[in-house]
Amino acid sequence: MALAHDVYRLLLKLYPARFREEYAAPLEQQFRDDYAEARSAGERLSFWGRAVRDLAMSLPREFGREVAHDLRFALRVYRQRSLVTFLALAALALGIGATTGVFSVLDAVLLRSLPFAEPDRLVVVEDAPVNAFDGRSAFHEWWSGHAYLDGVTAYSPHEMNVEANGAAVRGTVAETTAAFFDLLGRRPVLGRAFAPEEETPGRDGVAVIGHGFWQQRFGGDPRALGKTVRVNGTPLVIVGVAPPAFDFPQRTVVWTPTIFDTHMISKSGLPFRRTLGRMNRGLSLAAARSRFRADVARRNPDFLKRKVGMTPDGTILTTHPELLPLREELAGPLSQASFVLLGMVAFVLLVACANVGHLLLSRLSERRDELAIRAALGASRARLVQQLITESVVLTSAAAAGGLAIAYWVSRLAASVLPAQLAAQNYTVLNWRVLAFAVALAALTGIAFGVLPASLIGRAQPSADAWRSRSRGRPGASRLRTALIVLQAALTLALVAGSALMGRTFVRLMGTDLGFRTDHVVTLNVSLAGSRYETGRTERDYYRQAVDRLRALPGVESAAAIQYLPLMPVEGFRGTGFMASPQEKGMGTFAILNYATPGYFRTVGTAVLDGRDFDNADRAGSERVMVVNEAFARELGPGRAVGRRLWDYQGREVTIVGVVRTERLSGPASREMAQVYLAVDQSRPGFATLVARVRGNPASLLSMCRDAIGSVDHQVPVYDIATLDERLAKNTALPRFYTTAILFLSGFALLLALSGVYGVTNYSIGQRTHEIGLRLAVGAGHANLRLLLLRQTLLPALAGTVIGIAGAFGLGRSLQHLVSGVEPLDRWSCVLASAVLLATAAVAAWAATRRILRVDPATALRAE
Amino acid sequence: MTAKRESPVDDYLPLPATVFHILLSLGEGERHGYALKREILQRTGGKLNLGSGVLYGTISRLLDDGLIEESSERPDPHLDDARRRYYRLTPLGRRVARAEAMRLRDLVRLAAERLGFSESA
Repeated sequence: MALAHDVYRLLLKLYPARFREEYAAPLEQQFRDDYAEARSAGERLSFWGRAVRDLAMSLPREFGREVAHDLRFALRVYRQRSLVTFLALAALALGIGATTGVFSVLDAVLLRSLPFAEPDRLVVVEDAPVNAFDGRSAFHEWWSGHAYLDGVTAYSPHEMNVEANGAAVRGTVAETTAAFFDLLGRRPVLGRAFAPEEETPGRDGVAVIGHGFWQQRFGGDPRALGKTVRVNGTPLVIVGVAPPAFDFPQRTVVWTPTIFDTHMISKSGLPFRRTLGRMNRGLSLAAARSRFRADVARRNPDFLKRKVGMTPDGTILTTHPELLPLREELAGPLSQASFVLLGMVAFVLLVACANVGHLLLSRLSERRDELAIRAALGASRARLVQQLITESVVLTSAAAAGGLAIAYWVSRLAASVLPAQLAAQNYTVLNWRVLAFAVALAALTGIAFGVLPASLIGRAQPSADAWRSRSRGRPGASRLRTALIVLQAALTLALVAGSALMGRTFVRLMGTDLGFRTDHVVTLNVSLAGSRYETGRTERDYYRQAVDRLRALPGVESAAAIQYLPLMPVEGFRGTGFMASPQEKGMGTFAILNYATPGYFRTVGTAVLDGRDFDNADRAGSERVMVVNEAFARELGPGRAVGRRLWDYQGREVTIVGVVRTERLSGPASREMAQVYLAVDQSRPGFATLVARVRGNPASLLSMCRDAIGSVDHQVPVYDIATLDERLAKNTALPRFYTTAILFLSGFALLLALSGVYGVTNYSIGQRTHEIGLRLAVGAGHANLRLLLLRQTLLPALAGTVIGIAGAFGLGRSLQHLVSGVEPLDRWSCVLASAVLLATAAVAAWAATRRILRVDPATALRAE
Repeated sequence: MTAKRESPVDDYLPLPATVFHILLSLGEGERHGYALKREILQRTGGKLNLGSGVLYGTISRLLDDGLIEESSERPDPHLDDARRRYYRLTPLGRRVARAEAMRLRDLVRLAAERLGFSESA
């Protein structure tokens, strides 16, 4: 009997607090009466069956009733304090929303599974000792000769003109090996993938098209198989349609097995080829890596020392053989940046939480009378705790709902500045992991800030007397308040210091001398690949005509063609070495090769410092000349560069005729790189951008320029038309985005800290009205009292500042992942941030102490 | 005037069987929870065996709605367990129970007409 009773008493604890308080006694009584009647084991068993069924029926009902009751009460409370509630709500919504939004990016690039079979076995082979450039048989011989890769493919994505069913678009075409689809473990949904023999010249005129492209161009008609798609003019027979949402690599629309047949499809720009392998099943990444390194060392011991090119930011690329997980490769710099950003928004969320903590604490003390009365009427601690938790859950649920809207906006914003590499990685908040994250975040904050004030009730006896006796100088609450101020100040300081650092970096970035002018310049791209202008002479003719048409336009001051226009997004630059004599061995002076027509430097405002620009006399057959930039001239060593003769790898002689300012090719964040310009008329650039300096608003001249170039030959597509200012804006969009984001976050944190400090000071004055009245009565001045309170508020803020400075040093280092060129945190950023924070705290506290001026000693003392 | 008084009563109808049974039992006089349970069990021939959770949940709702109230009078302490709580009908509860009974009576009349049986049967 005693045991059964104990069990039943435990079960009763499942009921909500109010019901339990009211009816625990009669329920237990009735249990005893009923249980006593059940004499046999069978009767007892059926008795328990009934008891459990009763519990299952009544529990949900009682919970529903009590929650509805608490909700109604919570809404009434919040309606009475709408402004304060709104502030808390906005802070939490922003915190939850921004954190969730950033998490959606991380979820897309790091957590979501890639659209390939067993994606964790896929590795990008960086600098494979043998790659697709070495030809088909060498490539296959390489990978089949060792035991760590199950299979290998190579691919080379390229922007091309893709024409099908009479309409042309620009899209990514991936040249691959035949094994591409098999290696990734995806089969075409229609038709077939490539057969092994289809990667040989003569048989490789086939293509698999993307699912979206198939829908758009062929309306999803299965008869698309066997039809022709032209890429840069080369006809390919469609043999398959890729699965939906499959667009690896780089949002490809057409795949073709022509990677070993370099000249099959004419292309402009540099071919970049990547090798992708599938590790043997059961082999760890570390084991595969060590076997790979051994393989590289055995095949080609001095492979590590080769210089192969230059990245857009000016780092000279040397070979670095490694196996990189495909997921990591696809996430790229996004994941680190997102982690830093996630940390920052989590800071803001914490500051927001501290603020809500302040609010609930103040509300708790304001409601002390109400709670005391309720306690006196018999409401237990559990009941009050339940009420407070309901109130905070209501607040955080509303914040989470608002937060999801903000999260959606954040993920859209992130997609616009930094889109993911694959359609399968599109950022979305409508995903169970992201939603669960948001819900968990809301629940955690809700419970934390319901439990926090509730824990303070817990220490009080649930009686009216106890409540009253503790109404003054509650050490728990005031210690907690101080701790919250310290926390807020520390987090805010770290954010403000970080934003000062970012702001300074960004200002410096924008003030960087680019070496050219971006105003009043129109730029347009043309692709001659696959057109009739592919031979050297006709190509030169085309550019000359195009430039002449541009120059003839009213409003155009000058025009030119250039291969690598600064600010154009590129995978890398082709460079070469120049020797001081034909006999010299080795690398020579390394420089990026660029091709320009006469008038280019004037058009983009790059100053010719010495010598001359190209002119019409620099033609095929005349003396080979080049213009070099200052960086290259410096590397050549002392003495005048103009007039010097150099020799390229092929031993051809070329004379320097001019020195120009160094252009930062990849925008303000890139380094100054040595660069030489050759005359278009003396070489074959392969591709170029047309530029024109105009009078008036360049945006209004874009279409006129496009039409003028289109009129040279309608078969040559003109695309990617933009002003140079627009290209600069795009180039700096990411640092601008990060800087704006962090400035905004720190500004918001500062606002929250301001309202937190104000609230706490205000509250403590309210608590000490009696003491203040007494001090005033014995002759203390208002100003002195205000200073006293100010000092008391500023002390925890100061403590937080000190902690925050330590945190800011850590943050400063991680900001490197957002914007390159962020310097380590310096004294001045710290001083600035501390000054801003303490001034904010002082203003808030001082404003709050204005209340003292209204305190009338007589009234204050009488109130007690 | 009458219409006004009637409308709150109508708001409670139709009554769930459990509620009607509880009100019926209290119509006779004050009862504590256990007595209610026994009486209803007996009246329904063992068909309606109220679990204590459901019983007190219903009682709590009836108290909130003002259909019943807790009685402060206690019977002879010798017969009583001090922990037991007694309930009685409020005037509103009585009116509601009566209205429900009339609603049921009208239904039964209608059924007798339509289905052809004697009302007293």
